[in-house]
Amino acid sequence: MMFSSDGFLTDNNASSTNTGQTHVFTSFPNSAVDVDDERSENKSTTQQQSDLGAYGLPLPATANESAPEQYRMWQIEYYQKYFQVDTQQVLERLIGSMTPRPNKSYFDSTIRQNPDLYGPFWVCVTFIVTVAISGNIVNYFHQSDAEFQIDFSKITLSAILVCLYWWIMPASVYFFFRWRLNRIEYTFLELLCIYGYSLTIFIPISILWIIPIGWLQWTSTILASIISGSVLIVTFWPTINADHKRFSTVSILAVLFLHLLMAVCIMLVFFHVSDNNINPTTPSTTISTSTILTTAKKMT
Amino acid sequence: MSDDQSFFLSTSKSIEIIEGNITSTSNQNELSTLDEPIIETVKRDLKAVLRKFGHALIPRQSSTLLQQWDLWGPLILVTVLAILLQSDTTTASSGMQFAEIFTLVLIGSAMISINSQLLGGKISFFQSVCVLGYCLLPLLIAAFTNNLLLYLPYRSMLHIIRFLIVMTAFAWTMYASIRFLGQTQQPSRRMLAIYPIFLFYFLVSWLIILHKPSK
Repeated sequence: MMFSSDGFLTDNNASSTNTGQTHVFTSFPNSAVDVDDERSENKSTTQQQSDLGAYGLPLPATANESAPEQYRMWQIEYYQKYFQVDTQQVLERLIGSMTPRPNKSYFDSTIRQNPDLYGPFWVCVTFIVTVAISGNIVNYFHQSDAEFQIDFSKITLSAILVCLYWWIMPASVYFFFRWRLNRIEYTFLELLCIYGYSLTIFIPISILWIIPIGWLQWTSTILASIISGSVLIVTFWPTINADHKRFSTVSILAVLFLHLLMAVCIMLVFFHVSDNNINPTTPSTTISTSTILTTAKKMT
Repeated sequence: MSDDQSFFLSTSKSIEIIEGNITSTSNQNELSTLDEPIIETVKRDLKAVLRKFGHALIPRQSSTLLQQWDLWGPLILVTVLAILLQSDTTTASSGMQFAEIFTLVLIGSAMISINSQLLGGKISFFQSVCVLGYCLLPLLIAAFTNNLLLYLPYRSMLHIIRFLIVMTAFAWTMYASIRFLGQTQQPSRRMLAIYPIFLFYFLVSWLIILHKPSK
């Protein structure tokens, strides 16, 4: 708290955090404020005090100041500011990340004011869990009874792949914007949000990947990456469009390509892409004969 | 100096000497548990744990699980579950599987507890770990019955029966944990806190469904 030039107490911290969104008027003409009214209102409710403090009106010396505590990094309240979302907001963001709209970027309308870490984190964890479970289900049906064991390494492997993608892509986009454009267009947190929510569409796709039909797996993968990739492009379009024409197309293609690459990697690593086009008979017949033999052995 | 000495002597006459025992009567109950035989302590704790098992199975409106939380129940449940889910009882990899399941439940409970705290829930970390551990009881019963069913001759109907048993247990578990943990969050964020619990128990249910002991 310090005195501004026109003699009013201002809360410097509040004004500096508000500069990005609203302009805080810190200088009022004396006639506009009835100081006695403000003081009586201050004493009645404590909530109004912090609001008034931010707008630079004088706080009475006797009232309790509910200044926000400065939490440290090891206290859990420090991270609560990243989790200020309600169920409705999270649902809006999830649906927005799956529906590309050419002109309206869902990011600007929903995330920009309030980036959160809840959505991206739990979308990634859900993706990891569904990939691990579906991969194990595919193994269950593919291998014979005696061979199958729950493969826990699938959980760790999928966790590493997804988390790497979720963190490295925003980091590279962030540094790319800083190097190329010399300004921070999106904060790192917002980029994490964008990339985290873009993985939403792959969750139902990973359940579809269980069905061992080759063309279905490939088309669903490509379709899903195009949809979520286009949402990514719509989000980044204003920034990229300001750039050199050729460079902007290259960067858009790079974003799309990496997205597709991630999806195809996960599909190939965890799910048996059934090669019905190449050698259809030999792999399936060996598996079916082995199951017949084992069941015959059990019956005798 | 002499003035100080005389002052000291004069004040020392008015000091009263208070005698008594260190232990006061209000602390009598707590101190006496030190002297009781161990069997009493074990019985008391075991009764508390069993009472909480009952609460987890039939969720009633009582705050025993939350206020008198303990971690013995979850420890016993997770250990028994991990033993039941081992498929290879002979080779060295069985120890690895035990550790995997144990770690999975531990990390899952920790993540859910931290998540509900970050969302502003009014529950402490250990209370939430306690509730999540105790609510594993129906899934444990399902895993046990599954293991018994696996000794029957192989039929494809058995898969479906096992699946249904585990899904019923999963629904029961979810109901119990929502009863306990749902009230600790504000209504606009309740689904956000419940969803990770759903995911966690879903993963454990699938591990039970896909479990196949080697013959």
